[in-house]
Order: sequence, then structure tokens, then C-alpha cells
Amino acid sequence: MKVKVVKRVLDANNEIARKNREIFQKAGLIALNLISSPGSGKTTLLEETIPALKPQKSLVIVGDLQTARDAERVQECALDVVQINTGMSCHLYANQITESLSDLPLKEADYLFIENVGNMVCPGEFDLGENLKVILLSIPEGDDKVAKYPTIFRAADLVLLTKSDLLSVLKFDMVRVKEDIARLNANVSILEISCQTGEGMADWLKWLKDCHQKDIGAKAKFFTE
Amino acid sequence: MHEMSIAESLIEQIISVAKENSIVCVDEVEIETGYLKQIIPDVMQEAFKAVIKGTIAENAVLKITEISALAKCNLCKEEFTPELDNFLCPKCIKADVVTLKGDDIILKAVIGKEEKP
Repeated sequence: MKVKVVKRVLDANNEIARKNREIFQKAGLIALNLISSPGSGKTTLLEETIPALKPQKSLVIVGDLQTARDAERVQECALDVVQINTGMSCHLYANQITESLSDLPLKEADYLFIENVGNMVCPGEFDLGENLKVILLSIPEGDDKVAKYPTIFRAADLVLLTKSDLLSVLKFDMVRVKEDIARLNANVSILEISCQTGEGMADWLKWLKDCHQKDIGAKAKFFTE
Repeated sequence: MHEMSIAESLIEQIISVAKENSIVCVDEVEIETGYLKQIIPDVMQEAFKAVIKGTIAENAVLKITEISALAKCNLCKEEFTPELDNFLCPKCIKADVVTLKGDDIILKAVIGKEEKP
């Protein structure tokens, strides 16, 4: 017997992601999926960003193969944190996010930051229900990474070029990186940022607040009117 | 490297299609992989072998057909073949596009033996 079907292999994950997106919308928060290679500065960025966003409140879900170290680092400043240990899995699945949501005070929060497992390939395949994908590329990783991992940059809403204070000591062709991104996605925003010097932090916070206002503020206004 | 993650989702879907159609032993599975998904057939075959162990698809053969990519410019509506690292519209020289083909992995057929009544 031959059963002909046309099913996207990742449909099951995508359906759960769609439900997550509805939950975020009902709770009135925006969810951001932070994707990068290990060591690009995702947790450091959150340590600097979450206090600076106050009085807006942030929740964090952290994915790592092992340890709760990243969750421990952000729990002081975040409203609440869930650490997911993925074992041998190199990315988060939408159902892992769903399971974590029941432990989080969603309605009290404005932002949900999902710090994905450090990996530039698989996290791009698995929608978690996020509103926005933020891809971090740190200056020490080199200026060839956009061309080497084009798929993840094509899906980005924002590319954050982190550790920008190292531009003065490392060879990094910024023009090449921006050209490589422009070849993939004309609509992506690009910001240079350093958590050491604070350079670019104001632009990043503005980008977040603008996205929040656009997505949540407009709806809140609509419902109160 | 993402073939394993995809194979894990694929086997769940195969088992679900088989159950819906009373297939008790899967002999063959057909999938289409979009060019933009960068699936390496040999790696996918190895991942498939790993995930079918102990399932009703344990002896199934996986047939993979690669689908080429097609993109459409949002600005001038030109349709063109993008490269992995280049989505610039040949007319507008801008990467403001929607992909029409080649950005999916699709289960096309499950072939197997039905339960005997």
C-alpha cells in the first residue's frame, strides 16, 4: 500500500510554535529567540539588557546541553528564569518552550528572551513561536561567518555584531559582513554593540522598545479604546 | 549537522501516517528536500538508519529527491533561482524576496504492508 501525503516534516513542531505565539500574544509580551554560536555573548547581553529595560519586565528561558550556569547569571535581574538542559540535542524544540511557560508569570512580563543552545545551524530550523529572531555574531568569530552560515542570517530580524570594542584590535571587515547580510535579506536590521563599553546599547534598547510598542503597545491601545 | 534533528521529526510523522492507514510494516519512505535546507543525502540516510531502529519502519528504504530553489522578488515580482548565500533579485539587486520552492522538507509517501483483517 502506498500512502501519498504532503506533510512538512517539521509540521508538528511548527504547530506547537503557532500555539506558543498565541499564548505570547494573549499574555501581551513579545518573545525573542536569541541564536548564535557558543561564546558570542548572549548571556552577557541579557545581564546588561534586562536591568536597562526596567521598569519593563523580562522573562528568560535558557537552553544549554548541560548546567544551569546561564540561568544563575540572569536570575538576579529577570522576573523569572527557566533553564532547559537539552542533553545531546543542539537546539530547543517548541514543546520545550510550551512546557516552560507554565512555570513563568507571563502576564506580568513585557519581554520573553529565549536564549537558544549555542549553534548556528539547527536552531534556525525549529520555530519556537518567537515574534523575532535575533542573531548574534561576535567580532572574534570572524567576518566570514555570514557567508558560511547564510541560512540563519536569512531568517534574522536583527543581527547584533557583539564585542564591538574588539574591532580596534582584531581584523574584521565590517563592510564585507554587511554586504553578505544584504545579499540575503534586505529587511534585516544590523547593530554593533559592546557590553564592555556600552557602545550600541542605546540603539539595541530602542530597537527592543520599538518592537514592543509596535507589537504590544498598538494592540493594548486598540483593546482599551 | 541538522539531519539528525530532522530525521527525529520525520520518523514521528512516518509512524503517525502508518498508524492512520493501518500500515504495520513500512517498506519505503519518499521525501523531498529543498535545496535551501542543505540536506546532505548520505548524512540523512545515516540519520534515518539511526531513528528507525526498533520502529515499524526498521527495514524501510528512504528515497530522497532534491527540489531546486525558486524565489520571487517582493518589489518587481521577478522569479529567479537564489543561491544559498545570494538572494539578490537579478533586476532590483535587492534581497527582498519570498521563497516559492526549495525551502521545505516534505514527506511525500509512506509505502508498507497493511494489517491483515
